[in-house]
Amino acid sequence: MKRALTVFGIILFLGLISWAVPNQKMGDLGREVAGNEVVKEKSSQSSDLNQGSQASADHAKRGVKNFWSYSGFANASIKHFLMILAGLLFLYLSIRHGFEPLLLVPIGMGILIGNIPFLLNSGMEIGIYEKGSVLNYLYFGVTAGIYPPLIFLGLGAMTDFSYLISNPKTLLLGAAAQLGIFVTLIAALYLGFTLPEAASIGIIGGADGPTAIYTASRLANGVKMWNGIQSANLIGPIAIAAYSYMALVPLIQPPIMRLLTTKKERLIRMKSPRQVSRLEKILFPIIGLLLTCFIAPSALPLLGMLFFGNILRESGVTRRLADTAKTSLLDIVTILIGLTVGASTQADVFLTTKSLMIFALGAVSFMVATAGGVSFAKLMNLFLKPENRVNPLIGSAGVSAVPAAARVSQVEGLRADPTNHLLMHAMGPNVAGVIGSAVAAGIMLSFLL
Amino acid sequence: MELLLVIPPVDIKLGLIIALVGILIVFTALAVMSLIFNQIPKFFKNQKRSKLLKEGKIKDHEECCTDLSGETNAAIALALHLYMSEMHDMESNVITIEKVSRRYSPWNSKIYGLRNLNFNK
Repeated sequence: MKRALTVFGIILFLGLISWAVPNQKMGDLGREVAGNEVVKEKSSQSSDLNQGSQASADHAKRGVKNFWSYSGFANASIKHFLMILAGLLFLYLSIRHGFEPLLLVPIGMGILIGNIPFLLNSGMEIGIYEKGSVLNYLYFGVTAGIYPPLIFLGLGAMTDFSYLISNPKTLLLGAAAQLGIFVTLIAALYLGFTLPEAASIGIIGGADGPTAIYTASRLANGVKMWNGIQSANLIGPIAIAAYSYMALVPLIQPPIMRLLTTKKERLIRMKSPRQVSRLEKILFPIIGLLLTCFIAPSALPLLGMLFFGNILRESGVTRRLADTAKTSLLDIVTILIGLTVGASTQADVFLTTKSLMIFALGAVSFMVATAGGVSFAKLMNLFLKPENRVNPLIGSAGVSAVPAAARVSQVEGLRADPTNHLLMHAMGPNVAGVIGSAVAAGIMLSFLL
Repeated sequence: MELLLVIPPVDIKLGLIIALVGILIVFTALAVMSLIFNQIPKFFKNQKRSKLLKEGKIKDHEECCTDLSGETNAAIALALHLYMSEMHDMESNVITIEKVSRRYSPWNSKIYGLRNLNFNK
């Protein structure tokens, strides 16, 4: 019975295709086939019934062939499968192990969407790099640098800077952790990247996805010219590297933190943060904006939005706006940026030697940034009174992966002393890192735009 | 070695300059912010102190506006909460059983308040 149904189904399917092919608007091949057949039919009006059925069978065959040529199976290459595996890995890490699921689920799904093989330049307008496609319109927010400032707006509305204000010296830890950016810049130059490309790659060390995307969209966008050489489009690899390593912060940082600190240093207890007045909280975004943006105006879209979001939160009179910025707006932009960045990893564009080098440099960048923060905390302790000393474990939080890096400091602190909670203290350098990486990006842009 | 030849040396020099200047600027910007926010609470404290001095609420040598940490505030808040939640009318804690003698009345007689329901089936 099953066999009979299967055979009947196949016959019905072929019959439907043969009926549909001459009438349906198909690809070039289909049109050609249909056109030829129509001409043939006009020229041979005296053809008998057998010839007609033969022609129908031919239509069916060519229709199926045409359908096959458009399918993902016909256009798949090993690169596509590799990228699909990478997307599945992202989904696995985020869903099974809870690594930054809000970022990795959209990115993982985006990688799958971007790597469904299809016939390129067939006029279907479905690829993210094809003009007129829906994905291309959404990707415009990345290439034009629209999404990153909106994310910063939400981040500002979400962030409580009071830990930083209560202990302002932790701002220096945020600066020290930017060392990774500048070391990676030099390393990338030695690996053969142009200066704008190297600067964009360096920003991965800031552990700040939106800043990395923003810088890459300005400097490594496939259009920017430097000394007569056109920069490659590295937005996809840089964004994926930045977000991947941000998600892997709990794996990358602890060994370096333990390596650079002694047991005694890990046991340092810090003073409780003092109470911060409302006026101080309101003054912070205003002074922060004026100071940082006068120094690096190129970072204005990022820092402007960050501090704007923060004053919405702290002013106390725009609670509705702050709530929208930190919930709905941030969620919408995160969905769009995650999905489009994931989809931008189309195998033919993404799988290159440069991408692999970017991943390697990104890892180095994170390690140097972590080491920079921890080492600077140790250096600071040499000059501080014993009661004001900082636990060097909070230095690693200077990379601006908020709040993942602060959580790592807390976990490592608890590992050394189960009663020593470092989370509050680590939030200071953590948010300082956001400001520091945006200032660093602004400096790069000022030099290279 | 080949990689080194591919890159124009100008790029490396400029890269080094950007790196050095960049890290200096980042440090300077954040250090200035750190200094400002270190001074702001002191400034407010001094202002408040001079205001209280003018009003005569404190004397020259007296401290004003001590900074309380979050932990101290939490401890005070908890103590207040416990105190407030335990507040109620003060009682003697002596239990007495006083026999109240009432005159008989059929209206308060128990026997008339019961109905002879057939619970035994």
